[in-house]
Amino acid sequence: MIRVENLHFAYNGREVIKGIDLTFGKEILALVGPNGSGKTTLAKHLNGLLKPTRGRVLVDGMDTREHTVAELSRKVGYVFQNPEHMFFEETVFKEVAFGPKNLGVSEKEVEERVRWSLKTVGLEGFEERTPYSLSGGEKQRLAIACVLAMKPKYLILDEPTTGLDLRAERRVAEVIRSLRERGHGVMLITHDMDLVLELAERVVLLSGGRKAFDGPVEAFFKLDLEHYGLEMSELLLLAERLGVGFVRSFEELTGRVKS
Amino acid sequence: MLSGIVSLMLFNDPKVLIPLFLLILLSGRLLGKLGIGEQLRLLKPLLFIVALTVLIWPLVYKPRFMGLLLGVSFSIRLLGFGLITFQLLMTTKQRELILGFVKLGLPYELGLTLTIALRYIPTLYGIAGTIMDAQRSRGLELDRGNILERIRKTIPILVPLIVASLKTAHELSIALETRAFGAGRRRTFYRDIEMTERDYVVLVIILAIFALLLYLRFSLGFGHIVIYR
Repeated sequence: MIRVENLHFAYNGREVIKGIDLTFGKEILALVGPNGSGKTTLAKHLNGLLKPTRGRVLVDGMDTREHTVAELSRKVGYVFQNPEHMFFEETVFKEVAFGPKNLGVSEKEVEERVRWSLKTVGLEGFEERTPYSLSGGEKQRLAIACVLAMKPKYLILDEPTTGLDLRAERRVAEVIRSLRERGHGVMLITHDMDLVLELAERVVLLSGGRKAFDGPVEAFFKLDLEHYGLEMSELLLLAERLGVGFVRSFEELTGRVKS
Repeated sequence: MLSGIVSLMLFNDPKVLIPLFLLILLSGRLLGKLGIGEQLRLLKPLLFIVALTVLIWPLVYKPRFMGLLLGVSFSIRLLGFGLITFQLLMTTKQRELILGFVKLGLPYELGLTLTIALRYIPTLYGIAGTIMDAQRSRGLELDRGNILERIRKTIPILVPLIVASLKTAHELSIALETRAFGAGRRRTFYRDIEMTERDYVVLVIILAIFALLLYLRFSLGFGHIVIYR
């Protein structure tokens, strides 16, 4: 369980996080909010990249102020928005192996972990490719694999589907779902409301450095999203027109319409 | 600025250099409207070299006291160079500074390159920060290990940084070309600078002071200590 208690964070004297309480466990949590609302800043506190100016963050009881990012990286994996900002090895295999090697895992175990995480994200057979030669969607999945190989209990994904085409987005969504099934907690930072609708179990909405909403998906979509600079899910608009109530996927919608 | 630096080079007697340094500081306050404290803060990164200079001169030069004095005067020289450079950069807009060079005959392309280089320093700094965060999240401990290990640990930072800068440069070149860079032979400037009467007056005054200093130093031997016989 990650506990955020009365978190305040000031950047160059300007307070960007103004008192947030949050718990996060084995679930898919969508962290949403307009640009500049503090989503990334909050997320960076969860693995110790940023330390609170007031309040505290506990990762399974470890206070992030007393532990380094490297120590916390065993518990919390953070996949950055731009995957290219982390690739530096010649091959996909070495790239994924970098994380577990840093944790001091044995050679054999590293290899196992690399195979496992590449399989999880559906990149088997890519081991000898150069990371930079992959397509956008493949890069994104490779970035997830790199963090996954460290076997963190919690994973933070910063806009994992931005700039991806539909097929690539589907693959990433599948990966997220399978991670959840394997018992990981996944925090999803996104602007894609359809993705939130489809995947999230809980939604946290930030606005101006404060928590504006924290609750189940259905209640979230009853909010006036435009007020927070967010787009309403197209699927829900369609469902409303058709008068079939709350649905979470296109299949569900067509199923209801047929019956 | 140039005449200031050369003036500092002319003298090596601390009796002359210290007032000269204070004068530069004062001129920054009066002409450039920079706070004295602010100016001194800018010089902070030079403190290490200054300390080294002051310490080493008395060790290698005899008599020792003379060495100490020389160390002080060389430090003042160094600080003076730094101060003048900072004053120039803080009182003149980069754009105008480079436009000035272009007016003096620097090829426009070079001027633009210089502007872009300066403009992208903060951007690259930001990207480097993100990359470091990303690699730290993968368990890279930057502040642990001996020097060799630390050097090795910069690879995961440098490679993505170089790739990112190359990409930025490539995109920038496309952006420049789509905006018809190099299409016209003679380009005009949206913002222009010109020499006005005031500028000529200042130029003459500075040259006059400089000539006076040259005269004092070489004809009258003022402010010079013979170091080597």
